[in-house]
Amino acid sequence: MNPNCESCAVHNSNHLRRLGLDMGSFDYMVALAGNPNTGKSTVFNALTGLKQHTGNWPGKTVTRAEGGFAYGDKRFKLVDLPGTYSLLSTSVDEEVARDFILFGRPDVTVIVADATRLERNLNLTLQILKITRRAVLALNLIDEARRHGVSIDDRALSRELGIPVVPMAARQGDGVDALLKMIHEVATGSYVCRPRQVKNKNRKLERAVQKLVEQIHALYPVLPNADWLALRLLEGDERIIGAFRNGTISELTRGEALQTPAVEKVYE
Amino acid sequence: MNKSSGPHEENNRAIEELLSNARDLRWTVGDDIHDQLLKNIYEQAADISDKVVRHDGKKRYDWDQKLDRFLTGRWTGLPMMLILLSLVFWITIVGSNYPSAMLSGLLIDSLHPLLKNFFSGFLPAWMSGLLIDGMYLTSAWVVAVMLPPMAIFFPLFTLLEDFGYLPRIAFNLDGLFRKAGAHGKQALTMTMGYGCNAAGVVATRIIDSPRERLIAIITNNFSLCNGRWPTQILIASLFIGAVAPPALSGIVAAGAVIAVALLGIFFTFITSWGLSKTILRGEASAFSLELPPYRPPRFWQTLYTSLIDRTAIVLWRAVIFAMPAGAVIWLISNITVGDLSLAEWFIRALDPLGGLVGLNGVILLAFIVAIPANEIVIPSILMLTVLSLNLHGMGTGAGVLFEPDSLNSYMQLFHQANWTLLTAVNLMLFSLLHNPCSTTIYTIYKETGSWKWTMVSTFLPLALGFIVIFFVTQWARIAF
Amino acid sequence: MNPILLLIDGTLILILLALIFWPEKGIWARIREARVRRQRILLEDTLKQLYDHEYYQKPVSIASLAGALNLSQEKTTRALQSLAQLKLAVFSGGQWHLTAEGRGYALRILRIHRLWERYLADETGVSEAEWHRRAEKREHDLTMDEADRLSETLGYPVYDPHGDPIPNRFGELPPKSGRPLTAAQPGTHTTIVHLEDEPAILFEQLSAEGLYPGMAVTVLENNDERVVIKGEGKKITLAPVVAANITIPVEEAKEAEEAEKEPFLTLADVREGEAAEVIGISPQCRGMQRRRLMDLGILPGSVITRELESMGGDPVAYNVRGALIALRRDQARLIRVKIKKEHHEPQL
Repeated sequence: MNPNCESCAVHNSNHLRRLGLDMGSFDYMVALAGNPNTGKSTVFNALTGLKQHTGNWPGKTVTRAEGGFAYGDKRFKLVDLPGTYSLLSTSVDEEVARDFILFGRPDVTVIVADATRLERNLNLTLQILKITRRAVLALNLIDEARRHGVSIDDRALSRELGIPVVPMAARQGDGVDALLKMIHEVATGSYVCRPRQVKNKNRKLERAVQKLVEQIHALYPVLPNADWLALRLLEGDERIIGAFRNGTISELTRGEALQTPAVEKVYE
Repeated sequence: MNKSSGPHEENNRAIEELLSNARDLRWTVGDDIHDQLLKNIYEQAADISDKVVRHDGKKRYDWDQKLDRFLTGRWTGLPMMLILLSLVFWITIVGSNYPSAMLSGLLIDSLHPLLKNFFSGFLPAWMSGLLIDGMYLTSAWVVAVMLPPMAIFFPLFTLLEDFGYLPRIAFNLDGLFRKAGAHGKQALTMTMGYGCNAAGVVATRIIDSPRERLIAIITNNFSLCNGRWPTQILIASLFIGAVAPPALSGIVAAGAVIAVALLGIFFTFITSWGLSKTILRGEASAFSLELPPYRPPRFWQTLYTSLIDRTAIVLWRAVIFAMPAGAVIWLISNITVGDLSLAEWFIRALDPLGGLVGLNGVILLAFIVAIPANEIVIPSILMLTVLSLNLHGMGTGAGVLFEPDSLNSYMQLFHQANWTLLTAVNLMLFSLLHNPCSTTIYTIYKETGSWKWTMVSTFLPLALGFIVIFFVTQWARIAF
Repeated sequence: MNPILLLIDGTLILILLALIFWPEKGIWARIREARVRRQRILLEDTLKQLYDHEYYQKPVSIASLAGALNLSQEKTTRALQSLAQLKLAVFSGGQWHLTAEGRGYALRILRIHRLWERYLADETGVSEAEWHRRAEKREHDLTMDEADRLSETLGYPVYDPHGDPIPNRFGELPPKSGRPLTAAQPGTHTTIVHLEDEPAILFEQLSAEGLYPGMAVTVLENNDERVVIKGEGKKITLAPVVAANITIPVEEAKEAEEAEKEPFLTLADVREGEAAEVIGISPQCRGMQRRRLMDLGILPGSVITRELESMGGDPVAYNVRGALIALRRDQARLIRVKIKKEHHEPQL
């Protein structure tokens, strides 16, 4: 094994301590989501120092892997979710990913996107931003994009999405330090995300959603993703219906009043 | 939160009202909510990407597209697949001969007598027999027989996987799977099965349709797994390779292993087809698979991860299962009922069946002992063969392994046990077509949640195996 | 005979006997249980047939019931008498009728049957010809709660894949409306609302022609010899017997629907090196399949080029929004496209 290659991430990120599987206690939980074939597992390995095998085929990670790392004085637990194209198709892997982001309530969700085909990766990104407020976009494979003559204005992208964007080449270890910094900032709240919300253009749909949102808010006044939940109810999503019935939904409101600045809510 | 039952019930009523409202509203918005949502999201995604992505417009030489036209081409795809796989097997077979002989020399010829002498100094005879002749020797055999082929095969296979070749296999084979009424992604779970059938069964989750998923689960056992590759490779090099002139023996042996693997694929198709015509009737549904871009694998890291991840874990599992199996073999060979040992009784009871299908009682008993892990089939056969030969007055203690110092001594041992080329061929076939290991059976139960399908997956290959080797044997006996 | 061998044989025989006679789990117990179940299935099927006669206002006779149930008249009579004992059916005015309770029961079975068909169509790869047969079996197994949950999972569908309405959980069903295709004048623009799933032979013919509920068609010719319709750019000729199993709404559509007006190509027609823009996905593609295609980026407006062909020419890999996606021809046929005028060089 080539020690240079293995340790270049450590080389750049002097604040990083990889904890591998040792996560007795942690301060923040970080979820790792993204399309298949975006190098998600490589990012996972770069952060945790684990050697999870990274096969190059879609749907390879069917279950989720966990690892840990420490940055600054905080310990982070990292959960690798199955790679999915969407969160709306209700297949097994998508349910695992979605349920974790929604009910596992990670402190930060890192979305790994392939810079060479940003447009299709933004589909999942925008869907994730509907259910969580705190996310970081890891724009991976930026070196390959450059090789193909594609350049991406990451600041403009960050403005458009309302979340931090970190260009990376995880295989080479480039950008790992910047990603850690952003995860830390979002987790501790020094960076406040204002995720872009996709608006429904269809009138009828919008009206139906509004009605349901009113009803949901009457039940749970501080629920952060009420309109997404309303849409799921309209589509007849079994899991979400179940979550309403057995009270899991009310757990989503836990601590929400503290996390979401009230002012922001009013002006939105 | 302390809620009294009153407000709680009220809350429940409000929720039910919300849900029934959602049901009613569902009909005001039309049937295509999903279409509209996604269209919306994609429009915005395109919007954003237009704003932030710049393309320099220069055309570049795209090596992966050229490569794809060759590796996945209409005419070149299948031959290239066969050539690549043959290459992998050939390197494995030729490369593992020498280290295998070395390891068995070290662990069995040198270390075993040393340990035996050392422990018999202070342990009672039955204890040192159980520990050293039973548990240690079986484990040593597992390491000597399995480590070298695994340490070569897995990294090579992992390189192909990391390169992005597996989805191309699925793409190449989908036409055949479609005709068999199965899902193209079954090719992916099939190749996962070449690593481990339990992993292959879990991987079938990528197939959405329950019918096709069941087919993929039931047929996954036709993919030779970790535990069975070494059996195939060893027997092929010993018997099949020996038929050819020495210069070609490596290639012929590799050819035999590939033939068995291809036969496995053939049975996958036939069984899938049969299932989708009978108990799992239906047409092939959709197949949509992304062919990921080729990524040059990082050679050293792949080598390292596949050694740590796969080779070490699989070997560890084999050793864990080999130890109790070794103890069991030693015990049944040393506990006597009447004038024969238990093992001998079993072998005698199984011999008629074995003879009928061109195997023998020893091999069948070894397959029963090895239900927990296919890895220990060969070590069990070796131990039990030695045992049964001993009883014919050839050795000293029952259940103590004959000590071959190289691959040739295995050959001598098998010849003494009256093995023929037919026995070897049947063993290779039966190793391909028999019940899955207990881990896989348990995984199938967990994934399907049904005893019925677990039983089908367990006994279907076993029945097929017996049928195939029965006919091969009877045909061979008539023909030669 | 050797004593040890006998011992082994004896054990095996014991195990075999246990397998057969084990209480509740053994083969014998299962056979007895199955007999009770068969009786229930028979009664439920009879109820369904009575309801069917009532819904389509067909006169009920023992002969017609026996024919539909594929039973002897004697057995049918016995089944009806059992139903009368259970107060699910009554004999009055020279005919058998359902009681209110019996009607509720029949609708519950119908609900499960149609939901299950919808499930098979949307979420599994079971072939069209199999839907009905499987649902016939399944309708006797599911409880009402399970049916409700199934309905939730499927997103509260109101129609089964043949276009029949699914009774809601209170057993409500819209009154039968619509007319057979054979009643339409030539030149009528209309939409198929229902394909009758019985008898199976006729239904197989309809689905083989690619007809499905929701398909927009225009009637070109309608006489005693043949019915010719046009839909999705192709002409379909049907025998009047077959066409009578297609239901269309009572009122006519003002204009031909867009999809039918303009002939379109499908992705399967696109040749190598051509770029095509997606117009839409056929309504025939539904459930998980449809969602998967959209997840992969196949939506109206997406530009797709044909890239790789596998052995035998099926499946084909297409470049969709930057990724190489392999699709079978059967799926590509469901994706409607138009060829982009400007010729795209395949990217080098």
